[in-house]
Amino acid sequence: MAILEVKDISSGYGEVQILWGSSLKLEKGKLTCLVGGNGVGKTTLLRTVMGLIRPWKGSIAFEGQDVSRLPAYTKAEMGLILVPEGRQLFTDMSVYENLEMGASNKRAAPKFKDNLERIHEMFPRLKERETQKAGTLSGGEQQMLAVARGIMADPDVLMIDELSLGLAPVLVLDLFESLKSLRELGITILLVEQNVHMALAISDYGYVLSEGRIELEGPARDLIKNEHVREAYLGL
Amino acid sequence: MQQLSLLLASLPDGILLGFVYGLAAMGLTLIWGVMNVINLSHGPIIALGMFGTFFLFIRMGINPYIGLIPVAGLGLLIGIVIYFVAVHRVINAPHLSSLLATFSVNMIIIGLGTAAFTTSPYNVDFNMGSFRLGSTTILGTRLIAALIAVLFTGGLYLFLYKTRPGRYIRAVTNNRAAAELMGVPSTRILALSFGLGTMLAAVSGALIATFFPFNILSGGSYELKSFVIGVLGGLGNPIGALLGGLILGVLEGIIPAFLETSWVPVIEFALFVVILLVRPKGLFGAK
Repeated sequence: MAILEVKDISSGYGEVQILWGSSLKLEKGKLTCLVGGNGVGKTTLLRTVMGLIRPWKGSIAFEGQDVSRLPAYTKAEMGLILVPEGRQLFTDMSVYENLEMGASNKRAAPKFKDNLERIHEMFPRLKERETQKAGTLSGGEQQMLAVARGIMADPDVLMIDELSLGLAPVLVLDLFESLKSLRELGITILLVEQNVHMALAISDYGYVLSEGRIELEGPARDLIKNEHVREAYLGL
Repeated sequence: MQQLSLLLASLPDGILLGFVYGLAAMGLTLIWGVMNVINLSHGPIIALGMFGTFFLFIRMGINPYIGLIPVAGLGLLIGIVIYFVAVHRVINAPHLSSLLATFSVNMIIIGLGTAAFTTSPYNVDFNMGSFRLGSTTILGTRLIAALIAVLFTGGLYLFLYKTRPGRYIRAVTNNRAAAELMGVPSTRILALSFGLGTMLAAVSGALIATFFPFNILSGGSYELKSFVIGVLGGLGNPIGALLGGLILGVLEGIIPAFLETSWVPVIEFALFVVILLVRPKGLFGAK
């Protein structure tokens, strides 16, 4: 059974409709990616799933429960966590406090120590910078912290918006590797990326979003061979 | 020489009052810092705090310092109610909307207060004795008020930096959307912050009532002072507010030694304008 099922979602901002009936399913424990060009509605889809924007139509089910109308903080309590675009750190608070904030929900609090240890293993840099204000970190460190804060929330489903944006290639590789280890821990991941090639390379399953609709979907290794994908997104 | 002795007489009083001004300002700057709302009902809530002391002490015989506990509780409650009734719906609207909303609350409280208490002065006849310090006499009530103001400042600081709800308040201040994503019910946190702001206002009013006569309009001048202090101390920083209050108190202690008392607001607000122009983030503002 799918852990997260998005059915026929339409939404947008004010009068402007962005999504025109998109559906996707996340299988438990798998890494799924949602790729597509700039401005096709990837972020809007995540924001709608999370509850930051109300869906106009369609439904969202998380762990078999209808959560279409629930606010973001309730979904976070349930274990659906979004690492937002642009990191959205608490820049005036320390690295450690950001991690504490990640563990705000009731489920995560008792696992605080274990998750913190895990993060220090994955991102030793964050341990070194523990007392520093998040706003003073480099771009790569900030992205690490954004992901780490998401992990501290002890998610069942972790949705990550633009993991690679604005980062040096070496760092991107590191971060993608850390996604694999998260999958091994049993966390279901939805990765939204403009870096189509890398996203498909590490994912189990992929969706291609175009103009607010799911254009293509399939196992990632099939998509990467797909003529249309190669031409339109991989420049091959 | 005469001026010096005047100065020595009025400075300690100014300093002690400054702490209480700082406490009042803390309520205003907390709300502004967390949600970018200027609470124009700040003054009347200070006045309600004054009446709180009056009714608890004069009518019910409760010691004004014990009375601070129910005053604080009611102040918190009133703020939460004001937040949900008047502020919540306009929290994301342009500033003018929240200004008008809190100004309406201001007018409602003043109207009701005038109907209930008239605008003739009330006096809480409460005495904690006095003692001499050099050539000046210090009133016990003022000294205790200053100590309580410091206590509340420390308490607020610890609350914001050492407790979970305090951390949520700082997180919502810093990035409301991100806090929501981490499972923080930000609306409740905003309501709590507003309540804490009005609680501080009410407590400062309750303290002021132990040494000054008042009516329902008396909060207005403390509200104005709170603006000056907010600009001096930087917004949303309790220690900054206390220091700002202290500076204002010192000014009020010094100026009358050299000029007519009527010059005090002139100089205070000239200072306000200068700081706004030169250091808009406040003297102790972080950024």
